[in-house]
Amino acid sequence: MVWLNIVLNRLVWLVPTLLGLLAIVFVLSRVVPIDPARLAAGDNASPEQVAAVRHSLGFDRPLPEQFLRYVAAVARGDFGTSLFTQQPIADDLAARLPATLELTLVAIVLAAAIGIPLGVVCGLRRNSWLDHVLRVVTVSGLAVASFWFAMQLQFLFSMKLAWLPLSGQIEGFPPEHVTGLMIVDALLTGDTEALRSAVRHIVLPAITLALPAAATVVRFTRNGVIGVISSPSVAYQTAMGYPRRLIVWKYVLRMAVTATVTQLGLIFGILLAGAVVVETVFDWPGIGAYAVRSILQSDYNAIMGFTLWAGAIFVAVNLLVDLLQAAIDPRGAR
Amino acid sequence: MLRRFARDRAAMLGAVLIGLLVLAAVFAPWLAPHPEDVWQFHTPRRLLPPGPGGLFGTDRMGGDVFSRILFGARITLSLSVIAVGSAVLIGVPVGLVAGYFRGWFSDLLMRFAEIFLAVPQIVLAIAIAQTLGPSIQNVILALSITYWPFWARLVYAETRSLRNEVFIESAVALGASPLRVMVLHVLPNIASPIIVRTSIGMGATILTAATLGFLGLGAPPPTPEWGRMIAESREYLPDAWWYALAPGMAIFLTVLGFNLLGDGLRDILDPRTRRSAGQGGGGGGGGGGGDE
Repeated sequence: MVWLNIVLNRLVWLVPTLLGLLAIVFVLSRVVPIDPARLAAGDNASPEQVAAVRHSLGFDRPLPEQFLRYVAAVARGDFGTSLFTQQPIADDLAARLPATLELTLVAIVLAAAIGIPLGVVCGLRRNSWLDHVLRVVTVSGLAVASFWFAMQLQFLFSMKLAWLPLSGQIEGFPPEHVTGLMIVDALLTGDTEALRSAVRHIVLPAITLALPAAATVVRFTRNGVIGVISSPSVAYQTAMGYPRRLIVWKYVLRMAVTATVTQLGLIFGILLAGAVVVETVFDWPGIGAYAVRSILQSDYNAIMGFTLWAGAIFVAVNLLVDLLQAAIDPRGAR
Repeated sequence: MLRRFARDRAAMLGAVLIGLLVLAAVFAPWLAPHPEDVWQFHTPRRLLPPGPGGLFGTDRMGGDVFSRILFGARITLSLSVIAVGSAVLIGVPVGLVAGYFRGWFSDLLMRFAEIFLAVPQIVLAIAIAQTLGPSIQNVILALSITYWPFWARLVYAETRSLRNEVFIESAVALGASPLRVMVLHVLPNIASPIIVRTSIGMGATILTAATLGFLGLGAPPPTPEWGRMIAESREYLPDAWWYALAPGMAIFLTVLGFNLLGDGLRDILDPRTRRSAGQGGGGGGGGGGGDE
């Protein structure tokens, strides 16, 4: 019942939240001094042609009517057409989703693989030199501007050392399309050259995204471990003479990592919708770079489509986190 | 309290870094070796490496990077103080009212705030800044609109948990007006988390502002904005390696200062959450580091 309540509560608010989000972005995008019809018609269009385009795109109707028409179309699954790629927005987003998903997954795995062990060690050896060093590193990792960090990585590893490619997702022919994820496809089809290229391309952007994520993971894991270690249950187990190793591996870790898992879920959501700058700097053909380009080019339908995508991800991730927390700690569920 | 703060070396470092930033901003015209370089071109001196010509080298127009960094501190500081200040001025009253009263209006306020939290902050800021056009004022506006819900949500939660305390009930029972209770009884008791949040929010705001500058949505050139300086340096890599180094480090040290100060203040002001579950969400592409 608790679970059902959480799901229902979130779903009831899903539609108003997304509608509100759309309304805000819609109003924002229509008060711009740039004429979208002129953009769509092209530079050489005559005033009559611009007017014709404006009429055919519906930009000459009152704002509320435009908004209602848009929402009605979205409800039918029609997100409109990009003014620039001339493709349906849904197709554009779908075509870019695998690249973003691949980058996000690699970054999250990196962040967890680095962050969780370090966080556990820091929590177990509180105030050791490692703990102090990592505290400095994690605080720093959250203070670095990601675009600058990305550029420094490009400078060092691509330009100076020439170890890794500067930008893009792959060189030469991509592997045969199976899942859309380059690395997975290359593995499945046994295309070693594509695999090599795809892995080399993903290293730098993944590290850029993983740095702040790993810093967050270390902090949460450390605090989780400290919280559990100083709890009465661990004091009891220690008093009962359980070996420390058993206590740590069997009880402390499992309880301590729950907060970290929640955090990883939130980061996953943020990266799926918000890795915009890193994707732009590395020319990564994902949704984030698409969003930035759409915004800079005033591609309204694309901006609205991305907004819907980001909002839906946000609601889904929060729902997931709520459910996770209800599973971990039923007391918190309302 | 002050003594505890002085003993927290990390928080002290944060305070020192912010102090340096303020000094640089206030005394930029006197500290800068070439204050005229902010507006003038010296093409013969362009792209010189660090050395006698300048501490951090010169940029594509021959401007002294060190001087421009100092003047950039003015922009960063004023921009973030005004943006965070307005976010606090909007967010705190909204959170207070929504937390104090119960009913559909409170729900509506918070749902409205939540809408702004439903997209990555950086995306919202980029969209607003792009819509309004590139200028410092519009960056400030974009950042305030983007970040006010964080304070609204915090103050709402804190006010809700205080609402049923006995001292609030007795104030109400004595006939105090809602405004009086909110301002004189609730607000002083939730000041600590607001202050901590504001310090860390400054860091997040500065990162986002730099990102906007980097994307060309900030002040137009030749304004010495740090993010824009980094963007300008891109086409001169790998030869002019120093060009991006100094502005990047300036952003880093500034944000680090506010984050360290926020952590330290939390330890002192809010013993419940001693360097724990507070800060998080730093995973975003360029400045997601501001949510809880």
